[in-house]
Amino acid sequence: MNDAPRTPGESATGPLLRPAVVFLRALRAGLARGVSPLEALASAGAALPGEARGAIEAAISRLEGDYAEDEWGFDEGFADAVFPLLELMYERWWRVRAIGVGNVPAHGRALLVANHAGVLPWDATMIATAIMREHPLPRPTRFLVLRWAFELPWLSIAVRRLGGVVASPYNAVRLLEEEELVAVFPEGARGIGKRWSERYRLQRFGRGGFVEIALRTGAPIVPVAVVGSEEIYPKIADARLLARLIGAPYFPITPTFPALGPLGAIPLPSRWRIEFGEPIETAGYGPDSAEDRRLVLELAERVRSDIQDRLLTGVFERGSAFI
Amino acid sequence: MAGRRVLVTGVSGYLGSEIARSLAADPEIEHVVGLDERPPRERLRDVEFIEADIRGGELGELLPRAGVDTVIHNKIVRRPGPRLSPRAAHEINVIGTLELLAACERAAGVAAIVIRGSAGIYGAEPDAPQFFPEELARLYPLRTRFQRDVGEIENLFDAFARRNREVVCTMLRYQPAIGPSLDTQITQYLSPPLVPTPLGFDPRIQLVHEYDAVGATLAAVRRPVRGAVNVAGPGTIGLSRLVRRAGRSALPVPAVLFDTATATARRLGGPRVSPDLRRLLRYGRAVDTTRLTEEVGFRPRFSTPDAVEDWVRAKGGRRLVSAVGELLPGR
Repeated sequence: MNDAPRTPGESATGPLLRPAVVFLRALRAGLARGVSPLEALASAGAALPGEARGAIEAAISRLEGDYAEDEWGFDEGFADAVFPLLELMYERWWRVRAIGVGNVPAHGRALLVANHAGVLPWDATMIATAIMREHPLPRPTRFLVLRWAFELPWLSIAVRRLGGVVASPYNAVRLLEEEELVAVFPEGARGIGKRWSERYRLQRFGRGGFVEIALRTGAPIVPVAVVGSEEIYPKIADARLLARLIGAPYFPITPTFPALGPLGAIPLPSRWRIEFGEPIETAGYGPDSAEDRRLVLELAERVRSDIQDRLLTGVFERGSAFI
Repeated sequence: MAGRRVLVTGVSGYLGSEIARSLAADPEIEHVVGLDERPPRERLRDVEFIEADIRGGELGELLPRAGVDTVIHNKIVRRPGPRLSPRAAHEINVIGTLELLAACERAAGVAAIVIRGSAGIYGAEPDAPQFFPEELARLYPLRTRFQRDVGEIENLFDAFARRNREVVCTMLRYQPAIGPSLDTQITQYLSPPLVPTPLGFDPRIQLVHEYDAVGATLAAVRRPVRGAVNVAGPGTIGLSRLVRRAGRSALPVPAVLFDTATATARRLGGPRVSPDLRRLLRYGRAVDTTRLTEEVGFRPRFSTPDAVEDWVRAKGGRRLVSAVGELLPGR
């Protein structure tokens, strides 16, 4: 992806639209000179700048299936194409402030552990965007996603192509052994199904499975506190029956969803703050310590309280939630 | 290792023939016996052919007479075809394996058995690990008829291995194979110009090239290991990319209509889509091949995307989009 941060004004359509305008102008000029329409078309085509030809050729090779995916299904071309949209959300919609991005290791395995909120996994995409934009050595983040995302049409495709994998210890260990940066949300469905009144209160961190994974692979744990994701879909009720019908862990009812239909899926423009804490080294304990229940629970509690503290100060420092 | 005598079942199919041919050409192997219901299309040199039905009781006599020390069980039907009912396929798979193992137990001298099984036992599930290791075979219930067949074959084989500890039993779990010479469910599925795909899903598919499919079995004969080993080309390919590389257009069909659509297409002369393939097309599946490379010592020559490329190259044919691309000025 882009190494240099983009200027805010550059939109996704910019590079595609400009050559189209050049092309149409050349075509009109040719017609005005009185040459036949076909010739005018040909000469306008020759005037197409290289970058437009590149864009068209890229689109064609995409249609031919001539693009790369890695074995996990991460599709860098797709991630690149979506990045401007994520940047827009990051900069304009949620006005994210990222703190301590330098705490994320620039290379090698690492486990990001974050709080989870909001019905769709927007927080994962914003953590990834923060690292792509603000880190001196940007790198893609793989994130572990609940299984139901892979049962839903389209969401399953988008999640896979952006670097999401099913939340399973096998996947996490394999990714870390491949020296990837992996984000996990130990709260899981409990986190995203939280009620408005419970916001910024961390739910139980499972049985500390993420600590076992970190110990087994010797990956440092980076606690991440995301403030703002709790306000994007304020959940006021939960329709159990509907949830069971579609096989989702919960069916949220927010002020806009499902009253406004698909429009209700547009998240509210809260103000975000993402804080990356200092990494907690685990390599010193050795891989066998993953069996040590007491150590696992201790470390899990340490990470949990670290994130909880950062959340409370973060909410205070952010100030007003929306403006 | 010198002077080994090998029996290959299902020798008349393409992969069976290739396995027998390569074994016959190997100087370390003294004798190769091929077994099937009908003779191979062309005679295999230096392979003794026995015409017998694996389900029949003749194996008990034939096997001791052949005097083999290694058995490759390749007669497993992955797809009931037009001439083979699902019931007959089930009988060949389960009763055939049962008869073969019983014969091996009675015949003295069998030291190694390699079964060319299927990774279908893992199923295709939305929450599956992205790469199945061998120990997770029973993570999900066996949902389809073929899966239950494979499950039964594995049970029979495990029981056999427990009773006969001196025999090295290798269960190779194959991902679907692809290649220029093969006519499989996958290649048939990709044959019509419009290929139905489940709307909103684009799973990761993992395949094995026919060249490596043969090579993996040979490697397992050369270096027998106990237990299950996954066989696949490393890496995966997204279904939509697979369809595009094949030069086809995807026809996305909503999941609820998918069964009806493929059944209708089948009635109109289209390919058959089995319940296994249907699930695979929705959720995909990939396996971990560490054991294959490290313990069996076999490194596939084709990754999954390379296997697809090779198949596309051999198949030939021009694609519509590339024709459009050539019209671009200056290309």
